[in-house]
Amino acid sequence: MKRALVVVAVLSTLAAGTAAFTQSFSVQMGDRKGPAQPINFSHQIHAGKLGMNCLYCHYSADKSPIANIPPVSTCMGCHKLARADRPEIMKLAGYFERGEQVPWAEVYRLPSHVKFNHKRHVRAGMQCAECHGPVQEMAVVYQYPSLKMGWCLSCHRQRLDDPRFPTTMDCIACHH
Amino acid sequence: MSDDFVFNRRDFLRLVGIGVAGAAAGCAQPPVEKLIPYLVAPTDILPGVPYWYASTCRECPVGCGVLVKAREGRAIKIEGNPAHPVNRGGLCSRGQAGLQGLYDPDRVRSPMVKENGAWKTIDWEAALQLAAGKLGEAVKAKRGVALLTDNATGSLQRLAAEWSAAIGATHLVYEPFAHESLREANRRTFGQASIPNFDFAAARMIVAFGADFVETWLSPVGHARGLATARTADNPARFVTVEPRLSLTGANADEWIAVRPGGEMALALGMSRVILSESLGPALAERGALSDAVAAFTPEAVERQSDVPAAKVRELARAFAKAGPSLAVTGGIAAQSDQSVALHAAVNLLNYVAGNVGRTVRFDRTPSYEAVGGFCELQRLMGAMGDGKVDVLIVSGANPVYAVPAWAEFAAAMDRVIFKISLSPVLDETADRCDLLLPSTHWLETLGDAETARGVHALTQPAMQKLPMFDARPAGETLLALGKAAGRGAAWPATWADYLKAQWKPQHQRFGAGRDFDTFWRDSLAKGGVWEDASPTPVRWNATPAFASPGLRGPGEVALLLYPSQAFYDGRGANKPWLQELPDPTSKGVWGTWVEIHPETAGKLGVQTGDPVRIETEAGAIELPAYLYGGMRRDVAAVPLGQGHTAYGRYAKDRGVNALALLPPAQDAASGAVAYLSTRARLAKGAKAMDFVTTQREKRQHDRGIAQVIPVSALFAQVATRGAADRPIYNIHQTLSGHFEGPEPPKPSQTRPGLHTTPMQHPEGYVPPAHAITAFEPEHHTRGPRAIPVDQGSYKHAEHRWAMAIDLNACTGCAACVVACYAENNIPTVGPELIQRGREMSWIRIERFEERLEPGASDVRMVPMMCQHCGDAPCETVCPVYATYHNPEGLNAQVYNRCVGTRYCSNNCPYKVRAFNWFDYAAPEKATFAFPEPLNWQLNPDVTVRSKGVMEKCTMCVQRILEGKGNAKDENRRLRDGEIQTACAQSCPAQAIVFGDLADPASAVHQRSFGARRYWVLNELNTKPGVTYLKRVKQDTV
Repeated sequence: MKRALVVVAVLSTLAAGTAAFTQSFSVQMGDRKGPAQPINFSHQIHAGKLGMNCLYCHYSADKSPIANIPPVSTCMGCHKLARADRPEIMKLAGYFERGEQVPWAEVYRLPSHVKFNHKRHVRAGMQCAECHGPVQEMAVVYQYPSLKMGWCLSCHRQRLDDPRFPTTMDCIACHH
Repeated sequence: MSDDFVFNRRDFLRLVGIGVAGAAAGCAQPPVEKLIPYLVAPTDILPGVPYWYASTCRECPVGCGVLVKAREGRAIKIEGNPAHPVNRGGLCSRGQAGLQGLYDPDRVRSPMVKENGAWKTIDWEAALQLAAGKLGEAVKAKRGVALLTDNATGSLQRLAAEWSAAIGATHLVYEPFAHESLREANRRTFGQASIPNFDFAAARMIVAFGADFVETWLSPVGHARGLATARTADNPARFVTVEPRLSLTGANADEWIAVRPGGEMALALGMSRVILSESLGPALAERGALSDAVAAFTPEAVERQSDVPAAKVRELARAFAKAGPSLAVTGGIAAQSDQSVALHAAVNLLNYVAGNVGRTVRFDRTPSYEAVGGFCELQRLMGAMGDGKVDVLIVSGANPVYAVPAWAEFAAAMDRVIFKISLSPVLDETADRCDLLLPSTHWLETLGDAETARGVHALTQPAMQKLPMFDARPAGETLLALGKAAGRGAAWPATWADYLKAQWKPQHQRFGAGRDFDTFWRDSLAKGGVWEDASPTPVRWNATPAFASPGLRGPGEVALLLYPSQAFYDGRGANKPWLQELPDPTSKGVWGTWVEIHPETAGKLGVQTGDPVRIETEAGAIELPAYLYGGMRRDVAAVPLGQGHTAYGRYAKDRGVNALALLPPAQDAASGAVAYLSTRARLAKGAKAMDFVTTQREKRQHDRGIAQVIPVSALFAQVATRGAADRPIYNIHQTLSGHFEGPEPPKPSQTRPGLHTTPMQHPEGYVPPAHAITAFEPEHHTRGPRAIPVDQGSYKHAEHRWAMAIDLNACTGCAACVVACYAENNIPTVGPELIQRGREMSWIRIERFEERLEPGASDVRMVPMMCQHCGDAPCETVCPVYATYHNPEGLNAQVYNRCVGTRYCSNNCPYKVRAFNWFDYAAPEKATFAFPEPLNWQLNPDVTVRSKGVMEKCTMCVQRILEGKGNAKDENRRLRDGEIQTACAQSCPAQAIVFGDLADPASAVHQRSFGARRYWVLNELNTKPGVTYLKRVKQDTV
């Protein structure tokens, strides 16, 4: 009995460890709590409730390797009038009037030895949510995937033979 | 790689750079980084997408057209503009390094005024007021004002002239290398005081009398292109160099005639005499008079004066006249003696009697040197300054305190001027002697124009906003403000941009047919300017000047030869670490000055390479480390110019020696130009131990055949027997629809003896996968190609086999590719101490091999050497962590984040092309930091900045390959041949490097790689290199 208990204990520890290990490579490992932002901007309202297209603000995601953070002028395009009386919007307008950029906190960060190309992925027909998760449900955006290399490759491995957009497993495609 | 770099990709997202990211240590959560968006996004600019701005290089007076690449508002790379008539796409090392002038950490940050000998910051308004006050006083008191500028040409030059006229100032355009003798000789012989356009491409025989025309003389990039065209023609041109010391240009020649210093003129006249007396040239009306002028120069007399055998004089003359059109050139600082006008006139005569004038010597696209004052004009100004007649001196763009030989005592004359203003962006020797500094903007952030040659109206445009840390203004803006503040020039527009546009009204009239000015202006900016064909001015022989041989003064056993360094020109490039670390093409020395002496002369002194040598002339003595060089006469010693700055910035200051101090007072008798070749010197063993830092100590090949040549006759024979049909055709694209299906090819087996040494047998119709395609033919039977199944990984999708072909017949060894690689791939400079220990980081180097080198006989070969991207790479098999591997498209890849730094790969690389990061060159807190702010602004965001302990090497610019493939995908088309260019291939003035897809039979690289001249370096190792070299063609006559 005692021996069985030990075996069970060992096995469950191993199982838990394995689960934790695999989890760390999986999509579930993202930090659920996003960093605090200087303005209480909600993707839930913009992308969810209002149903705005991601590319309206992040317009370079399908044109450039870098998906841009929208310039303050893009925000002010609507918010000159829309909800101009709300305190958070007034904060935004304050930045704009002072000619200051909004110091948004970075959510997705890749090390400098990784070169990710947004354009290639968007043009291959990938949806933003495939990597960024249900942004339309996030009041504060958090890092949805683990951003570990195994997470990238989980997709790249599966779609090697995609007839239209075969992926690559070549290291220097990202590391150069 | 877990450290956060000082400068990483994300930094480029930010309009405002933020400081250093905290290091993510251990398990601690990294601090949240800030993302700073644009406040108002510039229209049409996307972060992450490079933008190109056409402009004009101002690193030397040539004015090559350039395209400046900007990312997120920062200029990160300069490339030649293929549409520009001067350089047609190539760009030299100096031009490439212009970026390091822009981001020079030692640039002047604001206007400064000297108070009690110390510089003090001052704001622009106060500075301008101070300057205007001094100007006003001088004008009022009718005292002298002088404006000294470089050869800016175009509107800035016109403004300077107008400004001087309005103020009543003396305007002098000063260039240290002003080609006065060439202009004066042309005035006397042809009645044209300008510099002709030398057509090297059309010449069938080229004789250079000391002109270093692919290094610093006139338009090196254009000349290199011309020389390559002439040499790679079906019937290659013969190139003979006549100089006492074999320069880089001379090393490219088929034949070297080691003439006695100053004997060039006699040889040129002797050749003319043979041509005239044997009636080999065209019929000339002046024949009688010309024959009389050269009557004394019989081949035998020439032999006595120049040490060139009489038979050789005759042979050269006959070949020169027969080649038609041929071309003789002279000039260059090393040949500028007290009779250099006579030398130029003699060469003019040679060209004239051989019928080259109007053919290869044309006065059509003549470089703009008309406004440049000679040394005599500078002396007049110095006289006025020394007499206390000049109250205010304004210097813009020139550095005479450094570049004028010490005997002329420019500094002393300048010190007599009451108030001196400098418009220099850096604190160079001249600026440091001024009283007020009004820093100018760098040409990469300035709107301007340049008319550097007839028919070329080029524009410079800012490729980025002014750098925020440097409070500078365009020189034109400052001049306008000064003039207006002194109460003159009411008609001038308020701003420099308006002035410039007003100056372009005539161009609009001529070239802007049907377009309004703004459209024309925008079109011209986009193109880099407007140009037109320049019709040649016909010239005929005007008068024959007196011919006298130059004299050398002073006691001593050797003639002192001063030559301009290829990297620094007249010294203006010395504060750029890329250029300091660029090995000299001859000695491969870096970060210093040395004296080149013949090994026999050195033997008599008892010195070896690196030992100190004391050089003494009438004017002074210096000590330099010796470099033993067989490529010079025993009776000369040569010292490069350009180093030895006493100011200018951290990279230039106290580095090497300025050998101008050795010159005694001597000028050309006719033009007044400084006679750089004017003195003998005494050599003695020096006392002070010093370092000669070099990147290549061994200059023999030891029969390894690294640099190969083929005689013309052998080439023709080979083409006749082999033909072009021998070429295997790999058309990978035919099999893309369905990859090869058939019986599985036999795998090589190491267990069965014998089998692994037989080549793999392919079934009929087998098409190798892209990565296995090679132009290489193994010499011996060894292990067959690795049987990688075609569908392993995603290999079956591999369409390309990236490869390179380098034509050694075109390559001049100018090393523009080396600097281009530094710029493109974020390669750190490491400084002399680390280079001394063999730790330079360059990914591509020019290897120099001296097969045979003695006075009058040279076989020097140069090979650009970079990673060969071997099909069977020795480095790949020894990496324990799989950090280096073969990519499906044939690249030998290096994954930095995988690398653990065992250095096994470097050990096993037969080509020694891998560089190891011994230190953290990207860490600002370290002494080895290579990118002090704002030099780090230049870093290419598409390339990782490597950290300590990581191996790196040539990637064949994989970031450019990916970009090119992406562009093709976006447009849903196949890649075009030539669409992707590596940085080295793009920059090559001679187009010696071709990059492309070996799997595409129509590609240029495929055509070249299967040509008759191909070979592979160390092919006996069967590494199957992806880089194919084309042998240099050697003349049979030599």
